[in-house]
Amino acid sequence: MFKWSVTAMIIFIFLFPVPCRAKTPERIISLAPNMTEMLFALGLGDRVVGVTSFCDYPPEARKKPKVGGMSNPSLEAVVSLKPDIVVMTTDGNSKEFEERLSSLHIKTYVSRARRIRDLAKGIRDLGAALGVREKADRLAADYKARLERIEALKPAGPKKKVLFIVWPDPLIAAGPGTVIDDAIKIAGGINLAGRSIAEYPKYSLEAILRDPPDLIVIGPDMREQDSGSIRKLARGLLSRLRTLPVVKNHKVFYVSDDLYRLGPRTIRGIEELRRVMDE
Amino acid sequence: MNSMKTGIFFIILVFSAVLAASLFLGPSVINPFAMDGTTKVILFSIRAPRVVVAVLMGTALGASGAVLQGILRNPLADPYILGISSGAALAAASGIVLGLSVFGTFTIPVLAFIGAIVTGGIVGILGWRRGGLWPERLLLAGVGLSFLFSALLMLLLSLSTTEGLRRATLWIFGDLSMSDWSIMPYGLLFVAGGLAVSLWRAKALNALILGDELTHSLGFSPHRERFLLFVAVGLMTAASVALGGMIGFIGLLVPHIARFFLGSDNRFLVPASAVLGGALLCVADLIGRSLIPPMELPAGIITAIIGAPYFLYLLRKKNVLSF
Repeated sequence: MFKWSVTAMIIFIFLFPVPCRAKTPERIISLAPNMTEMLFALGLGDRVVGVTSFCDYPPEARKKPKVGGMSNPSLEAVVSLKPDIVVMTTDGNSKEFEERLSSLHIKTYVSRARRIRDLAKGIRDLGAALGVREKADRLAADYKARLERIEALKPAGPKKKVLFIVWPDPLIAAGPGTVIDDAIKIAGGINLAGRSIAEYPKYSLEAILRDPPDLIVIGPDMREQDSGSIRKLARGLLSRLRTLPVVKNHKVFYVSDDLYRLGPRTIRGIEELRRVMDE
Repeated sequence: MNSMKTGIFFIILVFSAVLAASLFLGPSVINPFAMDGTTKVILFSIRAPRVVVAVLMGTALGASGAVLQGILRNPLADPYILGISSGAALAAASGIVLGLSVFGTFTIPVLAFIGAIVTGGIVGILGWRRGGLWPERLLLAGVGLSFLFSALLMLLLSLSTTEGLRRATLWIFGDLSMSDWSIMPYGLLFVAGGLAVSLWRAKALNALILGDELTHSLGFSPHRERFLLFVAVGLMTAASVALGGMIGFIGLLVPHIARFFLGSDNRFLVPASAVLGGALLCVADLIGRSLIPPMELPAGIITAIIGAPYFLYLLRKKNVLSF
């Protein structure tokens, strides 16, 4: 009996660690662009001492020292920046890298948020771990309220079929399990590529002609960065689909990259998607 | 002779069946006698161009492989070993990354073609010694350049952070899904030209395999023949890469499959490899787009998945490796 109660206690201790009030770390490294955005949104921007080469938002993030890519950051660069904590995600960073950091006694925080429904909890957990719980709770509440507002205002009429193209040539669509798929559903539409096997399927032109969407959304349109090259690339595709009403009636929209990462801009991305769906 | 006629008849029959299947089967079956507007668009501007591109690419790669294995006297030679494809990939990826659009919608294929031709030229210059091309030098120059260009390509890919760059890899893996008619005449011109030269010099290619001295005594100039055939292979490979990126397996193993059945007389081997290559890529693309619609699988993967086991089966079954 005594043995059992000890075992139970040990399990209890390991499964439910008492959350001690975290002290705000002074030096933070982010190994994912969406985590970088969340850190800045939580007001921790000036404590970020290292980011990946993919971290380009907000613009201040670009000025931070780089530690390499998302899947292949430099261990040396990370260690030499002497971080108090390294913020990572299961969606892009490798488990091996986290284990290496732990073996070097560097504290890590790994976010498991992947879908829009995880967003509010993701930011609250991050805030709790970094000692900015109140700010995080406020942000999470704001996201929740905005999400509920979008969901409450279901568009009139039948649900629209949306094809979200992430690359026009060869044609790659956003499929199931992606933030974009979630966003289309929340905005009250049907993701045409939502029943594919892959998250980002190479989509069949024939399938579009057979089962045409009500609107085509193409992204990301980064006009200031690459002079609208996605529009140039999409020209060929759209001319091949020119017989479809969706192209004839100009129901093709270019959107920003707000929906490409699960972070502070995601809700704005859903709002943008909703606007083009209503047009 | 009679069996040869039956053989040719059989090949034509199978090839026509493959073409018909590729056009009318797929994610949805098309009945040619009852077509509505959408079906016509699908048949004429989506399926037909990709079937033609598959045939052109497969033909070019199959024939190039057979010819190259002959002029390099090496059963492991394939059109990509000369570095032509890595040169093309490097040029195309640079174009995609830098967002070039000098040739409008043709930019990427044209850049790939230029990259391929320039690489072929460099390999030719490096392989040239004492008034002619030497097989070993060509092979080593090709392998060396191929490593260099692949490394430069990896460097380019790892230095870039934009989405476009990562997508450049998609192009490299080979894609037939966006094929359309506009580029076809140029592809046809180079593939047909290269194929014509290869068939015209097939007898000389037979001699080249026996060694330069025997080639001389059979009345051919080895240097001249090798040069002509090298140019033919370069043009065909460049056109194929420009049409749809890189498709593995066909150039290396289709000639061997043809050899199992027909022996190594290049007058039959080269056209047979061409036809077999074209048919195989067509079938692979058909499977790739029909298996799990609306998603498509790259034809290059399917080619190897169905081709390699068959090749291994033949390797086990047939006794002669008649190279």
